[in-house]
Amino acid sequence: MSTEKRHFICVTCPIGCEIDVETRDGEIVSMSGNKCSKGEEFVLQELKEPMRTLTSTVRIKGARWAMLPVRTDNAIPKRLFPSVLAELAQVELEVPVKMSEVILSNVAGTGADVVATRSMDRSSNGQARRRRRATDVG
Amino acid sequence: MKADVAVIGSGPAGLTAALHAAKAGAKNVVLLEREEELGGILKQCIHNGFGLEQFKKDYTGPEYAERLIDEVEQANVRCLLNTMVTGLTSDRTITAVNPEKGILTIEPKGVVLAMGCRERARGSINIAGTRPAGIYTAGVAQRFVNIDGYLPGKEIVILGSGDIGLIMARRLVLEGASVKGVYEIMAHPGGLRRNIVQCLQDFDIPLHLSYTVVDIRGKERVEGVVVCAVDDALEPVKGTEQLIECDTLLLSVGLIPENELSKEAGVELSTYTKGPVSTETMETSVGGVFSCGNVSTVFDLVDYVAQTGTRAGESAAKFARGEMAAPERTADIVAGHNVRMVFPQRYSFRDDLVLFIRSAEPIEKSVRIVISPPGIKMKRPYARPNEMARVRVPREKLADVEGSIEVSIEE
Repeated sequence: MSTEKRHFICVTCPIGCEIDVETRDGEIVSMSGNKCSKGEEFVLQELKEPMRTLTSTVRIKGARWAMLPVRTDNAIPKRLFPSVLAELAQVELEVPVKMSEVILSNVAGTGADVVATRSMDRSSNGQARRRRRATDVG
Repeated sequence: MKADVAVIGSGPAGLTAALHAAKAGAKNVVLLEREEELGGILKQCIHNGFGLEQFKKDYTGPEYAERLIDEVEQANVRCLLNTMVTGLTSDRTITAVNPEKGILTIEPKGVVLAMGCRERARGSINIAGTRPAGIYTAGVAQRFVNIDGYLPGKEIVILGSGDIGLIMARRLVLEGASVKGVYEIMAHPGGLRRNIVQCLQDFDIPLHLSYTVVDIRGKERVEGVVVCAVDDALEPVKGTEQLIECDTLLLSVGLIPENELSKEAGVELSTYTKGPVSTETMETSVGGVFSCGNVSTVFDLVDYVAQTGTRAGESAAKFARGEMAAPERTADIVAGHNVRMVFPQRYSFRDDLVLFIRSAEPIEKSVRIVISPPGIKMKRPYARPNEMARVRVPREKLADVEGSIEVSIEE
């Protein structure tokens, strides 16, 4: 039997409870420090498989900027970040792109999609209409 | 050019202010932005965690900006891009320059200041050593990586544990750089707790509290920095110096509200927030001039910025309609025991008082925020300098207050 003590800071809400957990053969023996049941859920998930949203960028051609920001549309296993980043490094898009457009579906087998987090068009910035209005100064 | 309301700056504060000025009935709202796009710093903040309170969504910075920009467009706000405001007078005349129109003069009824803040750089903290390439503020590095697609270096040391520094530590590791450590002069971290976990612990990046950088080495390019422990008075402790080899030093050592225009207009500035002294309506000491967001005081969350932006926009619209006279009386709001900063700094008895409070020292147990007079006590589970507390005090409870209002935090 192996007993392990681990320390977590829950990130579910801004309080950030510091939670001490003792496990024996992977089973939780004791848990203390969490102010609510969400802390317990957080720790259970952390022990099983830490999940995070990944945000990054991909190269884009024809825009004013070199990079387009992207995200996974759901949290994915943290350990798969390197695989997702390797796939993203292969991507080169061309304008136009709309916000929420899927860039890679089921990325690295996670079941999550990578989506654009902003619009970009040829004029550079997805804000062409607004820029034209800038010249219309009364 | 005439306008009901002119908003200077189109970050989250300015976008929200312009939107809510229009929603509150201002007919002719002008939003002035010096860059070629709206959105301010949100454009380069590609991480998530924006708008949890305002939109009940976990947006990234660009998503949050695009959603607000869409709303601003529908509200028929006139946006002037590439437009740099160069002057503001106390009678609310704005001078701006724009590549198409040259010099513009705008005479709005109400003005909203939303210029945000700027990063403190090496000059603000006086680090000794050579002047090689490879020293950047965290926000500049963020722009290089997220918008221009350049990695600022491969072996990185970060001085200061502000949120941008923590976010960049993670970002640089994801892009293949090695972050050797984050060094914080204070005994407690500067950034939000969730960023310590998700940005540092998740990637095994060490955080060294009560440490600073005392020397920078390297001729053409940074070759290393000397870190050193500090004592309670924040003075370096002799004998604890250690050379850390690296090619890049990022600085995340605080933000300063950007108030050059406010000063020109004669707006009274607070010595401790470094922003305009404001009332609960976001009105400054100059009638018809309102301020919001990080130009007022540096907020932790975009939700707080938006809350002040909403208020400033509504107030400016009201002022433009001639429905907002100068306050009949005011009470100063002052920082008491264990309070480093309180915003707003003045109460004008016109609405509920929403206070943003930053504690001086961390207290990791139940505390009471005391507002006196009238002697209101509010319980909070903790007080942390890196996490602002926000409380709302109903107008009725403050009606009889005379003299100044002191805000303190008690164990």
